[in-house]
Amino acid sequence: MAHDAWNSLVSRRVADATPPESPETTTGSQLQGTTFAVKDNIATTAEATTGGSRTLESYTSPFAATVVQLLEQEGLAMVGKANLDEFGMGSSTTNSWFGTTTNARYENDVRVAGGSSGGSASAVAANLATFSLGTDTGGSVRLPASYCGVVGFKPSYGRVSRWGVIPYAQTLDTVGILARDIDTVLRVFGVLDRHDPKDPTSITTEVRGKIAKTTPSTSYTFGVPSQLIVQELSPEVIDQWTSVLEKLQEQGHKIRQVSLPSIKQLLPAYYTLATAEAASNLSRYDGVRYGHSAESAPSPTELITGNRHDAFGPEVQRRILLGNYTLSSSSGDHYLRATKIREQLVHEFNEIFNVPSVLFADAKPVQTDNCDFLISPTAFGPPPTVEEYLKKNEENFLNTYINDLMTVPASLAGIPAVSIPLNETGIQIMGQFGDDESVLAVAKDLMEMFE
Amino acid sequence: MIFKRLLRTGSKFNLDPNYKFKCGVEIHTQLKSKYKLFSLSKTSFNAEPNSNVSYFDCGLPGSQPKLNPEALYLALKTAVAMNSDIQLNSTFERKHYFYPDQPLGYQITQHYHPIAKNGYLELSGRYDNIPEDSKIINIEQIQIEQDTGKTNYDKFGQTIKVDLNRSNTPLIELVTKPDFENLEQVRAFVKKYQTIVRHLDICSGDLETGAIRVDVNISINGNPRVEIKNLGSHSEIQDALKFEYQRQKTALENRHSIVQETRGWNGKETLSLRSKEDAVDYRYVPDSELPIIRLSAGIAEEISSQLPELPQTILERLCGKTYGLELKYARFLVENKEILAYYNEIFDNIVVENKKPVKLANNWLFHELMGAFSKLDQKFDVELFPPRKLSALILKVTDNKISQTSAKILLSQVIQNPEDVQLSIDELIEQYDLGNPEDMSELELDEAVGEICQEIIETNMDVVEKIKNGQKNSMKYLIGLAMRETQGKVKASEFAKKFNNLLK
Repeated sequence: MAHDAWNSLVSRRVADATPPESPETTTGSQLQGTTFAVKDNIATTAEATTGGSRTLESYTSPFAATVVQLLEQEGLAMVGKANLDEFGMGSSTTNSWFGTTTNARYENDVRVAGGSSGGSASAVAANLATFSLGTDTGGSVRLPASYCGVVGFKPSYGRVSRWGVIPYAQTLDTVGILARDIDTVLRVFGVLDRHDPKDPTSITTEVRGKIAKTTPSTSYTFGVPSQLIVQELSPEVIDQWTSVLEKLQEQGHKIRQVSLPSIKQLLPAYYTLATAEAASNLSRYDGVRYGHSAESAPSPTELITGNRHDAFGPEVQRRILLGNYTLSSSSGDHYLRATKIREQLVHEFNEIFNVPSVLFADAKPVQTDNCDFLISPTAFGPPPTVEEYLKKNEENFLNTYINDLMTVPASLAGIPAVSIPLNETGIQIMGQFGDDESVLAVAKDLMEMFE
Repeated sequence: MIFKRLLRTGSKFNLDPNYKFKCGVEIHTQLKSKYKLFSLSKTSFNAEPNSNVSYFDCGLPGSQPKLNPEALYLALKTAVAMNSDIQLNSTFERKHYFYPDQPLGYQITQHYHPIAKNGYLELSGRYDNIPEDSKIINIEQIQIEQDTGKTNYDKFGQTIKVDLNRSNTPLIELVTKPDFENLEQVRAFVKKYQTIVRHLDICSGDLETGAIRVDVNISINGNPRVEIKNLGSHSEIQDALKFEYQRQKTALENRHSIVQETRGWNGKETLSLRSKEDAVDYRYVPDSELPIIRLSAGIAEEISSQLPELPQTILERLCGKTYGLELKYARFLVENKEILAYYNEIFDNIVVENKKPVKLANNWLFHELMGAFSKLDQKFDVELFPPRKLSALILKVTDNKISQTSAKILLSQVIQNPEDVQLSIDELIEQYDLGNPEDMSELELDEAVGEICQEIIETNMDVVEKIKNGQKNSMKYLIGLAMRETQGKVKASEFAKKFNNLLK
C-alpha cells in the first residue's frame, strides 16, 4: 500500500489500486483501470462514513451514496475515504477529528491542502488515486484543487445526486470531482451526471433536455468580474491572471470587464445561509440513534447536550451557534435577507451569460454581446504553511472566511465552476447554470494552451 | 387537596356569565395513508417497535425526504370538507427542538405557508347537540406535518425506550379561531370533526389511540390565554376545560392575574408545563430540500367533486320525509359507513325499484335483521346477509310467499349457520321448510289446519278446560303451539278461527 504521508485518507480499503476484473465492467470504459478516493462525508457501506467528526467516528452507513454506486457499477475500485474539515466546515482540512491533512504537492514544506476536501485533493496530488470525489459548498473542491495543483470541478447544483452525501448547507452542497487531468474529470462527470429520483433536488431528465449549451468557438468572450479584483490577491496571482488573459487575447478570444454588484454583499450572505442550514442539518447528531454517546445521563436533554458538546469540534460548534443565532426569533430576518441577496446575484449572473439559463421560464434569446464564461483566480494566493494558517486563524477566524470570496459566487448562483492548475495557483472558469460541458471543454482548451 | 376535589366533582358545572369563556382548539390528525409522509416505510399502529423505520425516518446522514402524494391528497380532502381555502403554493419548514423521539432534531411542518386557510365548520342544534340553533367555528389553518416517534419511560430500569414506528407518520394540524363559547360546542366540534375524517377515510378518528390528539386554549374575559396540551378523550377535554375555567375564575375573583402559559392535564388538575418566558424558540427555517407544493387553480372543485356526501347532508337526507328515519338511526348509519351502504341498497331495492313503503326497509334492517343479530349476541355482519338477500326476503313477505314469523326464523337460522351464506332466499326457504303452503288448495289447507288444531286440543285438555271456563287468553297458548308445529307457515288468524270453531 502506497504510503500516505499527508494523512489524506482516513480509512483505506485492503488492496491498493487494483480495480476488480469483472465481466460486468463496461467494456471500453475509458475509466477502466482507474481508482478513486471518496470524501468521508459521502456514504459508503464497507467502512465508516465519519464526516471528519467524532460524532460519526464509528458510524457505518447501511446504504451507499448514489455517486459511489454509479462508480462501482462502472467497475472502478475505491481506495479509501478522504479526510476533510469536520462536516465540510473549513478551508484547510485542519478541522478534522482525524487530524490535519497536509499538501502532497510540497515536498519540503508542511503546507495546508485547502479544504474542506483537502484529503480528496491531496490524495490525487499524491497519486494515491486517479481521481477523487469531494463536496463543494462554497469552494471546498476548487480551493484545495488550486492549492494541491489538480483540477477541481464543481458541477451545477442538481446535476450530480446528493443522495448519501452528508449535508452541510443543502442549498449549496454539490458533489465535485478532482483529478490530475481534465479528461478524467470529464469521464467521471459522464458517469455521475444523471437524474436521481432519490434526491429531490436532482434536476429531472426533462429539464436536462432543455439546457442551452454554448456553441463551441475559437473566439469566446471571457468576462472578468470587477468585484473579484481585490487587494487581498497576492502579486503572483495577479501576474498569473494577467498572463492568462493576455494569452487568451493572443489566441483570438475577447476579454471584457463585467460587474456583478451583489458580490460585495456575498460573503455575509453566504455565511448567514450556510451556518443557518448547518445548524439545522446538524441537529440530528444527538448520539441517540447512532454516533458518539455517553453511556448514560440524568435526563434526555443532558444526554443530548453532553453528546453534542463532546463530539463536535470548535469550528462546527461556532458555526452551529452562528446559525442558531441567525434562525432565532429575536435576531430578525437574516436568513430571508441573505436569500434575497442570493436571488439578486442569480439574476446578475444570468444576465451576464450569452446562453439563457434553464432556471428562468421566460428564457431570453441567445445573445452575443455578453460573456460566454467568467474567469478569475481560484484563491488569493498559494497555500500557506499549516503553522501560518493556524496562527492567522487564531488571530481572527474571519480571516479564513474571507478566503472564500473567489469561489462563493458560483456556489450561491449554483453555476458550474472549475479550477485548473495553470501555475502555482488555480484559475477558475465559470459558466451559465447547467452548461457544465462547455465549462469543462473550455477548461480543457486552456490547459492545452498552457502545456 | 379537598378544595381541588371540590372543584372537579362539585355540583353541576355552569359557566358564570360574569366570566366569559373563550376557547380555541388545535387538533392533530394522523392521516390514514399507506406510507409515511416523506419515506416509503409503511405507517403502522401496533407493529413491533422500530420495525417500520426507513433511513429517513431515523435521520441517517445523507438520507433525503420525498413527499408522499397520498398524504397530500388526504390533507386536501380535509381542507375541502372544512370549507377552507386551499393555498395554491404551500411550503414546508423545519421546527427545531431536541428530544430523543425527534430523529432529525426538527419536525418538518408548514409554518409560513400552510396548505389551507380560512375554513369553517357549522354546528347545528339539531344534529350536533349544542344549545344554540347553529354556531360557526372558524378555522384558521390546516397544515401538513410529521409525527414524532414514541418515548416510553421505564421507571424501574431508569431507561427511556424510543420507538420510531410513528416517526414521520403524516399528520395534519387544524387550528380553530377562539370561537367556542361553551363546553357543548367544544364537544360537538370535536365529535363532528371525528365523524367527518372517519367518513372520508382520512383518519381512523379515534382519540383513545392517539390518532386524533386535541390541545385546547382558554381565556376568560380577555385575559391571557392558557393552552392545555394533549387531551386524549372527550371527557378529558371537558374535565380539563372545567377545571381550568374554575381555576382561572377563582384566580380572577381573588384578583390574581392569569399568565400566558402551557399546561398539562394529569387526570385531576391542570399543571403548568412552561410559561411564555421559557417557551422554546423553534428557529423555523424553510426546508429547501422539499419543493414548493404548487397546485392548479381548479383543485378545490376537483377534490370536492370526488368527495362523497358529507355526514350532515346524509343526516338531513335520512331524517327527511323520503327516508323517515329517527335521528338516532340516521346517526348510527353515518357513523357506520358499511351499514349505510347496506341501507342505501335496501332502500333502492324496496322503495325505488319495487315502490314499497320505506317503513319496510327501515323496520327490517333496524328491528328484524339487526335485532336478530343482537338477540344472538352477535355483531352485525353485512356479509352474512347481503342487502340483495334481505330485499328479496322482504319482498317474499309482502308477496305473501312467506309469513313474517317464518322470515324472522330464517334470519335467525342464517346467523347461526354462516355456511348458509351461499344459499339464495328460495333455497333457504326450501332448506328450512318455511314457505307458505301455497300448493295446497284452500279446502286442503282448511282440512290440514283442522287436523292440527284437533290434535292440539286433544293433547291439551287442561288448557281447553280453562278456555271453556272463560279464560279466553289461554287460546293464545294453543295458537302458539300450532304456529310452532307449522313453523309459522300458516297465519295465526287461520288457527284462531279454527280453534274458535272447534271449541264453540
